[in-house]
Amino acid sequence: MILVGELSLWVALLMAAWAATVSFAGGQMRRSDLIESGERALYATLAMVILASLGLWTALLTHDFSIKYVASFTSANLPKVYTITAFWGGQSGSLLFWALILSIYSAIALWTNRTRNRELMPYVSGTLALVLVFFLATICLGSNPFQRLDWIPPDGRGLNPQLQNPGMAIHPPNLYLGYVGTTIPFAFAIAALLTRRLDAEWLAAVRRWALLAWFFNTVGIVLGMWWAYVELGWGGYWAWDPVENASLLPWLVNTAFLHSIMVQEKRGMLRKWNVTLVVSAFLLSIFGTFITRSGVISSVHSFAQSPVGKWFAAFLVVAIVVTAYLVSTRLNDLRSNAQLESMISREAAFLYNNLVLVGIAFSVLWGTLFPIISEAVRGNKITVGPPFFNTVNIPLGLLLLLLTGIGPLIAWRRASVANLKRQFIVPVTAAITIGVLFFAFGVHNVPALLSYTFGALVLTTIAQEFYKGVDARHRMYGESRLIALPRLIARNRRRYGGYIVHLGVVVVFAAFAGLAFKREFDLTLNAGDSKVVTDAWGHRWTFLSQGISRYNVLNREVTAIALDVSRDGRPAGVITSEKRQHVDSRGAPTFEPSTEVGIQSSFKQDVYVVLAGVRGADAAEIRVTFNPLVRWVWLGGALMAIGGLVVMWPQPDRKRVQSGYAAVLKPQHAPERIPDLVGA
Amino acid sequence: MSRRPAGSPGQTLITRRSFLLAIPALGLSAAAFPRRIRAAQVAVQTFNGPMAAAGDVYRPVTLPPNDGAKPSMTDAQRDDLEHQIHCQCGCNLDVYTCRTTDFACSVSPAMHSDVMGLVAGGHTASEILAAFKAVYGEKVLMAPVRSGFNLLGYTVPFIALGAGAVVVTALMRRWKSRAPMAATVPTSHVDATEGELAALDAAVRKDR
Repeated sequence: MILVGELSLWVALLMAAWAATVSFAGGQMRRSDLIESGERALYATLAMVILASLGLWTALLTHDFSIKYVASFTSANLPKVYTITAFWGGQSGSLLFWALILSIYSAIALWTNRTRNRELMPYVSGTLALVLVFFLATICLGSNPFQRLDWIPPDGRGLNPQLQNPGMAIHPPNLYLGYVGTTIPFAFAIAALLTRRLDAEWLAAVRRWALLAWFFNTVGIVLGMWWAYVELGWGGYWAWDPVENASLLPWLVNTAFLHSIMVQEKRGMLRKWNVTLVVSAFLLSIFGTFITRSGVISSVHSFAQSPVGKWFAAFLVVAIVVTAYLVSTRLNDLRSNAQLESMISREAAFLYNNLVLVGIAFSVLWGTLFPIISEAVRGNKITVGPPFFNTVNIPLGLLLLLLTGIGPLIAWRRASVANLKRQFIVPVTAAITIGVLFFAFGVHNVPALLSYTFGALVLTTIAQEFYKGVDARHRMYGESRLIALPRLIARNRRRYGGYIVHLGVVVVFAAFAGLAFKREFDLTLNAGDSKVVTDAWGHRWTFLSQGISRYNVLNREVTAIALDVSRDGRPAGVITSEKRQHVDSRGAPTFEPSTEVGIQSSFKQDVYVVLAGVRGADAAEIRVTFNPLVRWVWLGGALMAIGGLVVMWPQPDRKRVQSGYAAVLKPQHAPERIPDLVGA
Repeated sequence: MSRRPAGSPGQTLITRRSFLLAIPALGLSAAAFPRRIRAAQVAVQTFNGPMAAAGDVYRPVTLPPNDGAKPSMTDAQRDDLEHQIHCQCGCNLDVYTCRTTDFACSVSPAMHSDVMGLVAGGHTASEILAAFKAVYGEKVLMAPVRSGFNLLGYTVPFIALGAGAVVVTALMRRWKSRAPMAATVPTSHVDATEGELAALDAAVRKDR
């Protein structure tokens, strides 16, 4: 199976190359046989990549340490689940995983478009196949997971302990599903540019794919934050590390696209802009991969420096040049007769929303690259860490939050003063009330105060929109409000799913603002010692050391501290934190010691305890951090994902309903275009 | 979609059968030739490289104590200061976070000792940061100082956003000038007879 897998990789490369060649040729020569051959070759590529993946999984599960990848990332005593997830734990395996997802996505895109978008599909297949050729060539020639060692070691090195975490088992697949998901819209954009069919057809084909990519990217980012929080032990969930930033860039651009696509759908505007966003999301995904794998920017998350970085850089340059050429030579085709009836309209709000989203993406990219720019210009190495990103991005984030509240309140086309007054009166009153109340109760940190004030605005906006919709159904159909709510969402999933996403955004922002009230304490405790510290809420916490314990379990040697905790004199449980030294099957240490954080979580705050070191026999050095509102980050992330699912969920009866209304109206007034009864 | 080629009768075509037969041969030959390339692959490390040892990267940072020196700040202020100093072990964390997180790091405790010595010597936060910068260079600061070229780093995102806002506003003005003076379609007016509206309402009710 392993040999079959290895060979399949090469066959997959050839298949993809064939698919790219005949698809473009078929599209150009309008030869259906070549087009069909290209599509079949892409399906065959999927089969070959699946075989290659099964080959690698077989090698991992059978502990074939003659294969360098297996010896580098697993050991005989590695738990089975992590032996399976080691597939994407290293460079070459993760590239194969990327190729696997891309070939699955490509096959789904072909299958779902087998009777639609036929003019575009040859170029879509060709573009997808070209991207696959790049990945498969990189794997085969630059980072082959089936590369063999000259000798067979008795055991492998094992998987980095920080990757032996459930979060890390599922975070990378989600992130890859998000990253790779941007390839399908990109392929459609290239096809539309090549064929000059830049009408709404290609846009309709990519919306769901862009949503899918956004959904997985969101889930991947939130899971990554959770993993960093519980596993790395530094006390936070976002460090503005270059690799974290790289995951945020396509997310921001994709989010901008999902808003601006509505403007093109409704008003036929922003055609150039939408193509640019789709292409940029893909290029930024590749850029993120380049950062992770090139070693060009120092990051705690990166794979080690390897030659594939150059491959990615070259691919990125070629992709930028090709897409820039295509867009610049098709500007006339992308021209739309844009008309704006008022500067105070939903369209205008979306434009500013896009500007801020792309502005944040630019500032994150700029900060990530600034050390390189600085070194190139001044020859001076600098560090661009969280203080820089917070300084630049907090104002932009607050502006975005404000727009999230304002946008939905403004009508399409033109908002009248009376309409604005009616829409804004409740949300603005609520926002001002919350701002004043929070200030009165001692929240004087300006970004946090603005965050809660704007959050209140958005929250009230959402509540108002739901209330109006539910109330309208209640009045029209006599439905009880409890019944009307789910029906309202089900009848307009795009709109109300979007509001659920906005709700998630508010919750996440509120949680981020909680960090302004973080408290950290650095304690040294002998067995039986206790220390008292005070959190941001004014509670007095006592930590009593029960002493250090040392024991072996599974594939690790553990040093642990147990702390008896009480809050305001009342028992609040026991918190333990560990340092783990992982060992191979012969008991030899494999990696640097890793942290196992002790977390006592509540909706109010997390008590986060890290065993930082042991001095002498029994003196534990611990860090206690009170992290307010962290649980709300995960809750907000879940809400965003749920909202994304609601938006994505197919609306099966939409066409039937509309045609039904049209049929009702037809005898007297047959409209040329069926009115959009379900608008976002 | 037609399975037959659209080319001329004499045209040589690749049949599905010949294509499928050719694949294994191509695969095998391709698998054979790149051994040379594969042998030249550079050995790559795992997820995180080993951190630097203190001896490799640590440089002592000292200043003579001020006359009659008293500690210049509280422990909490000192911890805040350490959040502004970048640990040099390769971890991307600040000194405080690294020393209170990483069991194995020998660099951050050494840098922490230097901070403690400078605090005990009565030096202010800015003097301590300057001393670290003099020894390690600007990279020891968690964020670039806001002067000279670094100002670009802080201002370019806002300049870009401002420029973007100007462009967007100009574009919207242009689009607005194209629009007919017609907010002529009254938003509340529905172009349908009473009978049509009643029929539509009935259809909506039925569809529920």
